[in-house]
Amino acid sequence: MADKTFIVRIKRQQRPDESVRWEEYELRYRPHMNVIICLRDIAEKPFTQSGVESTPVSYDANCLEEVCGACAMLINGTARQACTALVDDLEKPIRLEPLTKFPLVRDLVVDRSKMFEDLKRTHCWIPIDGTYDIGEGPRMAPSVQEKGYPLSRCITCGNCLEVCPKVNQRDPFVGAAIVSQVRLFNMHPTGAMHSAERLDALMLPGGIADCDNAQNCVKACPKGIPLTESLAAVNGQVLVHAVKSWLRGE
Amino acid sequence: MPAVAPESKTGYILDKLQSLSGVVPIGAYLVDHLWSNSYALVSIEKYNQVSGELQTVPWRIGVEAAVLWIPLLFHSLYGMYIWSRGKSNALSHPWMSNWMYVLQRWTGLLAFVFIGWHLYTERFGGHGVTRYAGVAQDMANPWYVIAYLLGVTACSFHLGNGLWNFACKWGIAITPKAQHAAAWLGAVVGVGCTLAGVAVVLGFHYAWFPLGGYVQ
Repeated sequence: MADKTFIVRIKRQQRPDESVRWEEYELRYRPHMNVIICLRDIAEKPFTQSGVESTPVSYDANCLEEVCGACAMLINGTARQACTALVDDLEKPIRLEPLTKFPLVRDLVVDRSKMFEDLKRTHCWIPIDGTYDIGEGPRMAPSVQEKGYPLSRCITCGNCLEVCPKVNQRDPFVGAAIVSQVRLFNMHPTGAMHSAERLDALMLPGGIADCDNAQNCVKACPKGIPLTESLAAVNGQVLVHAVKSWLRGE
Repeated sequence: MPAVAPESKTGYILDKLQSLSGVVPIGAYLVDHLWSNSYALVSIEKYNQVSGELQTVPWRIGVEAAVLWIPLLFHSLYGMYIWSRGKSNALSHPWMSNWMYVLQRWTGLLAFVFIGWHLYTERFGGHGVTRYAGVAQDMANPWYVIAYLLGVTACSFHLGNGLWNFACKWGIAITPKAQHAAAWLGAVVGVGCTLAGVAVVLGFHYAWFPLGGYVQ
């Protein structure tokens, strides 16, 4: 009996300045395959459906359990992680494309450093070291911990930026993930000591005012983070901070 | 590396003013405007009395400029700038809120064109004097009726959906539950304004006075 097969169509580009080509691969079906397995199968035998020899497809992947964010791509037009996209659940042929909101490196690999630069720009960390021992921080109430935990699950995959109409080449908007991290770090009692720096950064071009409430981010988040709640909460924080610092110098 | 952006908070302030101006004064004025025009559904005399009073407010040009024309121009033109910075993607991500994002922009444009024409014909064309008979004469034209129905619906949708946006963007409605409630509030305001506007337009067209029952 012949093996059951299925088709994967991949948008390929050797370099950002080279023209796009679509390739189709016929892969042998096994139960429980995910998209990463498909890409590995192609790397083993990089022959297209018509038998033409090609090259292994470049892609990013790391943890294979949806905690690193590296394998974000467009799968049948939806921004999601390749490691948790199961072949059984996907409409065939499966269409793979790189994310469109980040500079392309090659094939399915994009350069997501914008997000990491924006995390730095918005001071999304908690300083725990000084030139001397600064001691223990204040205790965190369990209720605050519970609110913060879902936010801490962000994997910086960029899916929320991919689906946002305000993240594009024309606008430097930082996107929902970064705003949600600002909320997380402002929630932390030690992090709160630097909340003014984060909120000031979000008033600059590309900051929170660029959010126009299309609310796509929350639907694209693989970790179920309440991104629209974070956006509204931080919107309020920035506003209060702006008014207080303007009127009262606080 | 992202491009080095100018370290200015002007954009933030303008964005916030654009959002605020849509609610106050423009949104508040739309509700008031539909209210005062609803007197056309009471009687001709009442309508002429109310519009006559509105047309004789002191410092009229200054008040109109400060409360209406300047906020309207700013809200519209800066709104179009904001629109130009976005890239709609409702066809590839057809979620309801994403369609609302797209509709908010197109209804805004429609409202801008409609209000411009409305001001030209009713305010500047008539030199600021409006009587029931004049409006009814315009409204006898079916093209006017169609334009008004479209315009009033676009303005009402834009206000209703805008109230929801405002509640989210000013950190008033934070939890999904609160945002859901804000969306319903916006829907009620939007539908209410549409119904009032449509009734007034049809009232003028058909010389219809459904609210005139208790006039002595």
